[in-house]
Amino acid sequence: MSANLPLEGVRICDFTAVWAGQSATMYLADMGAECIKVENPFIWNPMTRAASPRINAAMASVLPPWIAGHPNGDPGPRPWTNSPAFIQVLRNKKSFTVDSRRPEGLAIVKSLIRISDIVAENLAFGTLEKLGLDDDAIRRERPDAVILHMPAFGRSGAYVEGRGYGAHIDSVSGSTLLRGYADTAPGDNVQIFAGDFWGGVHGAFAVMAALRHRRLTGEGQVIELAQVESTAQMFPQAALDAAWNGRDAVSVGNRSIEGFVPNGAFRCHGTDRWIAITCRTDAEWVALITAMGRPAWALRAELETATGRAAAESEIEERLEEWTASHDLYSLFHQLQAAGVTAGPVMTAQDAVEDPQLRQSGAWTSLLATADYPETEFGAPPYRFENSDVGIRTPPALFGEHNEYVYLDLLGLSDDEYQRLEADGHIATAFDPDVVARA
Amino acid sequence: MDALAGLKVLDLTSHIAAPYCTKLLADLGARVIKVERPGGDSSRRLGPFLGDIPGPERSATFQFLNTNKESLGLDLATTDGREVALRLAKSCDLVVVGLAPAQAASLGLTYEDLRARTEAPVLEITNFGSSGPYRDYKLSDTVLFAMGGEMYSHGTLDRAPLKLGGTAALLQSGAMGAVAAMGAVHARELHGVGQRVELSLFATQINSIDRRSAAILAFRFSGRVQQRPVAATSGIVGGIYPTADGYVEVTASFGNYWQRFVEMVDDDALRDPKWLDPATALDPAAKEEADGIVYPWMLSRTKHEVWAEARRAHAMVAPLFTASDIVQDPVFRERGLWLDVEHQALGTFPMLGRPYVLEKTPWRLRQPAPTLGQHTDALLAEAGYGADEIAALRRSAVAA
Repeated sequence: MSANLPLEGVRICDFTAVWAGQSATMYLADMGAECIKVENPFIWNPMTRAASPRINAAMASVLPPWIAGHPNGDPGPRPWTNSPAFIQVLRNKKSFTVDSRRPEGLAIVKSLIRISDIVAENLAFGTLEKLGLDDDAIRRERPDAVILHMPAFGRSGAYVEGRGYGAHIDSVSGSTLLRGYADTAPGDNVQIFAGDFWGGVHGAFAVMAALRHRRLTGEGQVIELAQVESTAQMFPQAALDAAWNGRDAVSVGNRSIEGFVPNGAFRCHGTDRWIAITCRTDAEWVALITAMGRPAWALRAELETATGRAAAESEIEERLEEWTASHDLYSLFHQLQAAGVTAGPVMTAQDAVEDPQLRQSGAWTSLLATADYPETEFGAPPYRFENSDVGIRTPPALFGEHNEYVYLDLLGLSDDEYQRLEADGHIATAFDPDVVARA
Repeated sequence: MDALAGLKVLDLTSHIAAPYCTKLLADLGARVIKVERPGGDSSRRLGPFLGDIPGPERSATFQFLNTNKESLGLDLATTDGREVALRLAKSCDLVVVGLAPAQAASLGLTYEDLRARTEAPVLEITNFGSSGPYRDYKLSDTVLFAMGGEMYSHGTLDRAPLKLGGTAALLQSGAMGAVAAMGAVHARELHGVGQRVELSLFATQINSIDRRSAAILAFRFSGRVQQRPVAATSGIVGGIYPTADGYVEVTASFGNYWQRFVEMVDDDALRDPKWLDPATALDPAAKEEADGIVYPWMLSRTKHEVWAEARRAHAMVAPLFTASDIVQDPVFRERGLWLDVEHQALGTFPMLGRPYVLEKTPWRLRQPAPTLGQHTDALLAEAGYGADEIAALRRSAVAA
């Protein structure tokens, strides 16, 4: 039976780095595109395969888990094959190596572009151009290519030379100022990379739309997704309030901009356990105070409406937390939902992996052990297709894992040519030791 | 030409998350038929409002989420209303359903009900999925981010975990729906399969590439749970700094980013090789010395001046923009982030424009968000109802 893959027959020549770009091509690979990651043994692309090629157990132990929680705390000799931050965006992909800065390497890249449908990149502005791979050069090889550029700040205008990671994209798009506590300075805001998630999803969507146009008309095109412009749309209420009413939204902490009162995260019994509660309607408020045993303070008539509750929001939050603090998180979660109150635990990673709903809905896929990580479970794509095999079909690509496939099967090089390129360092399954030492 | 020209979508969604999915489709050229309940989509009552005057056509939330869509006022809880939806489904290329599972069952609009009447793919966007212990549980933006997202490690340790700004989590999950929708469309057009595609908002957040999926895999690998930090500090130089008029975000801690940062600040004291010694990074006195150089440098410049210096040096430094900055920014304006909407009832107002530039099939505003029931008569006629039948549907308040 056919796998009915939505992007069957589509090949990506993938130059993406970090999270936004690599996740965009990950979504496309999940959908069945053959995504070939172009890697260079002589270049360490920061924040693309690991925090550092030289990260060791001691360094890992002082860095945050999300970036350095390697298997058993030990990155081992090849941190780029077991980084928790990066191997997941390599699922369903293939990896081959080439030093594209040398003429024969560039020729290899061009021959791959010739048989690719998509060229994707989010490198610093000008990086591909310096290699000799501007849009015109790409289209000389592949006139109907769909070219995805994901610059941080745009490919025209005064910000082209700006450099940034997720934190800077969140900053310029307005996200950082909107997500602190209401009463602390923005300098205390903790990083989270909402814009990476957003940019990757939008990049994949735009490419899928362009591919439909291409299938119907034969016409490729260039897509420019300036990540800050895209991510600014994650906060339309704030942007339009400024544009329409001249008002600058400020951070409201955990309060709702939808007029829901109460809305927030409240301490539960135990160590650092929190429940999120939202009263989306007046009926949910009644259900909440009923669950609380109808305490006298909550029975005031003015609290029956959201407007009335908004006037007493701080008091409600304090009283509510006095109540939640004596309750077990998960018992309270199920009790409140059963009573019709919108509520849920603030889930740690451990809560998530043990969660029965996620387990039952197929959120995880088993991943076999490799030399660099033990057997584990991996987040599956978040959608279930009834008749298409949209899931994890191949594990995260190892560095250079598909060299033979790309050079011999796809590009049709001879064994002699392969050996020559291997001898010249283009073809490798590890980074050059000098690169590792310098990075 | 539009990328999604000729794609007709029946949109049975409301509020914020799933309508953002269909907005992305509509803005690239799909015809999206938005079925609105009597009284209209709940997002029509969400602020902010144009001129701070509430009203169902004046909501920024609604205006943003429903550009380029057509509105059909329909009471799905009636037999006739349901029949209208099913007739429309038959002529569509995609159906997007945002009903809770119990609601879909009570309305008779489950996947099986729709499949009996259309061969189109059906994308079901639910809170937690169509089965499982949380099937009927409710969500808000905050509860979604708390359960699915990386809220637990966002914020500082002595305080409550923090959500993102606005309704970011709902919109992120809706965007993921648009990827699923395009998968369904490609599978249909390429292989001829119409199928059920299920997306739970919860699952989209669990997979998010904002740190969440990394924190989960890190826990599986190392047993370490990502905590909220005690404070938002980041090495000798790094994190958010105040400027004369705002703030900037600085990354200067690794790779050659330190060198670029030093070039930006251009102070010889920072060129001392001692700063490159890993031991320095752990020395509070060194941090104090660096602060003594960096803070005055930042505070004597505006955030835009700092950013200009950063771009010159290719330093990883960028300003924290306010919403007004995003509205007024001349570069964003010149590049076309904003456009003016001509609305039949409201006049002209600014709107966020394209999130991406597609060279051959540009994002475009064909029409502003519809007024409630603006296309009811035309859509009923398209579904095969005669003038008398339409009048009857209106009289009985099935259609509006």
